[in-house]
Amino acid sequence: MADNNCIKCDVAIVGSGFAGALIANELSPKGISVVILEAGPGVQPNINDYMKRFYKAAVKVPESAYPPELFADPGKLAAGRPTSATLGPKSWQDPKQSYLIQKGPRPFASTYDRVAGGTSHWLGTSLRFVPRDFTMKTSYGKNAANFPFPDWPKDITSQKLSTFYARAEAELGVSADVDEQRFLGIDFPKGYTYKMPRIPPSLLDQRIGEALAQLTEDETEFLGMGKPVTSVKVRSLPAARNSQPYRNRRACAGNTNCIPICPIQAKYDPTITLNEATNRGAKLIDHAVASEIIVENERVSQIKFIKYEKEAGPRTGEGCVEAKIYVIAANAIETPRLLLMSKNKGRTSKGVANSSDMVGRNLMDHPYYVAWGLLPPTAKPVFPYRGPLITSGIGDLCDGPFRAKRAAFRVDIGNEGWNFVVAGSAFGADPHVTTIDFVNGMNSGGLNAKDFNQLGKNNVALLGTDLAHKLNDLITRQFRLGFLVEQNPEPDNRVSLSSEFTDALGLPRPQITYDISEYTKQGFVAAFRMRKLIFDKMGARDFTHRPPDPASNSPGRFEETIDGNPVTLTYFGAGHIMGTYRMGDDPKTSVVDSFQRSHDHKNLYLVGSGTFPTGGTANPTLTLSALALRTADSIVGELRSQG
Amino acid sequence: MMSTSRHQERNRVALDAADHERVGGISRRTMLAGTVAATAVGTVAPIAGSACAQGGDPNSKQDMMAFLLLSAALTGVRVAILAPEFDRTDKPDILDADPGVDPINVKNDYFKWINASDGATFGKLLQIAKDHRQSAPDILNAVSASDDTRFLGRSIVLLWYLGSWYKPEDLKENSAPGTRALLESQVVSATAYTQGLVWQIVQAHPMGYSNLQFGYWSRLPLDPNDQNARSDLGFITQTLP
Repeated sequence: MADNNCIKCDVAIVGSGFAGALIANELSPKGISVVILEAGPGVQPNINDYMKRFYKAAVKVPESAYPPELFADPGKLAAGRPTSATLGPKSWQDPKQSYLIQKGPRPFASTYDRVAGGTSHWLGTSLRFVPRDFTMKTSYGKNAANFPFPDWPKDITSQKLSTFYARAEAELGVSADVDEQRFLGIDFPKGYTYKMPRIPPSLLDQRIGEALAQLTEDETEFLGMGKPVTSVKVRSLPAARNSQPYRNRRACAGNTNCIPICPIQAKYDPTITLNEATNRGAKLIDHAVASEIIVENERVSQIKFIKYEKEAGPRTGEGCVEAKIYVIAANAIETPRLLLMSKNKGRTSKGVANSSDMVGRNLMDHPYYVAWGLLPPTAKPVFPYRGPLITSGIGDLCDGPFRAKRAAFRVDIGNEGWNFVVAGSAFGADPHVTTIDFVNGMNSGGLNAKDFNQLGKNNVALLGTDLAHKLNDLITRQFRLGFLVEQNPEPDNRVSLSSEFTDALGLPRPQITYDISEYTKQGFVAAFRMRKLIFDKMGARDFTHRPPDPASNSPGRFEETIDGNPVTLTYFGAGHIMGTYRMGDDPKTSVVDSFQRSHDHKNLYLVGSGTFPTGGTANPTLTLSALALRTADSIVGELRSQG
Repeated sequence: MMSTSRHQERNRVALDAADHERVGGISRRTMLAGTVAATAVGTVAPIAGSACAQGGDPNSKQDMMAFLLLSAALTGVRVAILAPEFDRTDKPDILDADPGVDPINVKNDYFKWINASDGATFGKLLQIAKDHRQSAPDILNAVSASDDTRFLGRSIVLLWYLGSWYKPEDLKENSAPGTRALLESQVVSATAYTQGLVWQIVQAHPMGYSNLQFGYWSRLPLDPNDQNARSDLGFITQTLP
């Protein structure tokens, strides 16, 4: 057996994000000893340092509040990470800039952090999947030979997951109105209520709701809903964001900064649960990068890890942890990376838990179609840059017979104007870009043209009160929509190990091959049409940049012909990394069972959205949290049966 | 009151951050940002008055008042917003007024920053403000009369609006009408970001720094239900005090 210097516990968890923290916190109060390995820094005494880091960041990308250094050479970081700032035309395939070794043909555009608490920079959106998200094959492809979606395991249905969803909603503290969330067959138990009332809609949400209240069947026929659609509802999004004080955290004050960090922790993040777990005895070891899962006689016998102190390394020590049960909760890129790195001197040459050869495959995101609009001067302003980043969306169009042919989409309504890289261009974010344009007579953002500036000429340079009033006039009429498009699983969209590039600990960096399918692209085409319908109804001008534009060399772009016209579409990442160790009932085609337990190794669980066989259009966090709670129950049951 | 304590807490965060910066927490980013910026960070700490002989003197009330008049003309924002403790009582000549000391005191940081980046041109701008202290349009005309003052003036507007430093030479290089470019910038300090005026001008708040309360976003700015609203555009004015 392994040496006796290993740390001993009942359950060892790799990763302290949503799934890891939730499981630790379920086990610890039951007298189960838990050790959590976290690759990044531990929980900070308060969030002031992260806030300061955000305030001072010249580029306020989702990773900007958290370590390590944003523009460091990822080969010289002990726990590197992909960042939004390294997805440009010149950077996405440059290993000196991009942590992920991207082999293309298109970029995987989502990122993640490696710190205690994991995905703390999430938005807070906590949607349940709609029932048919779990049964794509049965519902829409029963008789199609090559339908690109499987079903989820038969034990994972909307109804069977309902009580776990409810527990996750209580732990995360979700604000929503249950009656408003009953659509497309989402199942709530009788008398169920969310923990807090819904987050109120922004002025923009209200405006879009009015614009879509009355539509004609002709206008909406392209949706393929299989029934006439004469109005489209804008609904508040369920959000793990306090609408009143909850568990010693205060109500949201609308700081408009959910991503990357809420300055008052009104938005839930996993450090909250993690702190409870460690208070109850779970042991968190930070700066500890799991490097190999050791397997003996089909069972995991220990996990080895590397210690470091400085973010640039080097390694300062190593250790191992021995447990009865092991849980890997390191997200859908780092988890397969660890499994594939664990070769056990050749005994598991394809990696641990990989008899199906599915580990690392079927990498999915919600490719994100983003559109920027400007309301006409005659319209009342919508006053963006106020309130939570997103308060409402359109979910009713994400399920219907069209899913046999094209990808579904769900619509986000952005309250942050043109802050999300102005108009998809490469010149930064508003309000900065438009301010610079009008101070310096430039036109990076597109508003400094006489059609929009109402000044009779292009490219004006203003100062003083003229400048202040013009910026007020234009920026208060900006808005943004985002369309989360479902992506079908494809085996060649894959995480593997780079044979060439390592991090500062000498571990191979993740290598990605990625593309989006015709099915997914057709979802973009429908999203483009929906965008046009919404903008037309509002009288808004589209500012989503298209060629000839410097952003046209964006690696995420593709061409389509829509209604006879050539259109260039570009996708962004949603940060929803899924699919790379999928669950299923058949061990030949899946990595884990419905409890997220490895088919190959009975004391190994792999959790997080990597287990999703299909991704739907809902943000994955609530569903992966519900599944983690189900896994925790399974672990408790198993330890009890062992005595 | 909850709102008060929250406001105080935020101020404390910002102040702590500012203090930390003064103690010499020069980040790697700062180091990379170039010599002008690095020099400027060094001079945020107190320096000998003689060091800025060719520019302005941050300890001179007249120079500070000239900076505030210049800034008010350039930004279109009232002096009392730029310098909350500004006091003109019984001073017929505005240059004799007291610029005041306030808890944020971003004006002093900006003065020193600009002085360190191009003291000679800054000196010219202060002189323009002194010469035309009755009239914002006259100040703007004089600032625009030559390239050196025009582009440093634009850097100063962006500093007040965004809390970030855009080098005058970068602005000049990209000033051909309709240029599209990503300009390099440096956030001067955490406090500077939170004090950016553009957010108030568009009746919002710096992302990540709001004084408002739950639910305000479903109402128009200045709704009577929303305390602490700072979006009354009355602070935009061409009138110098």
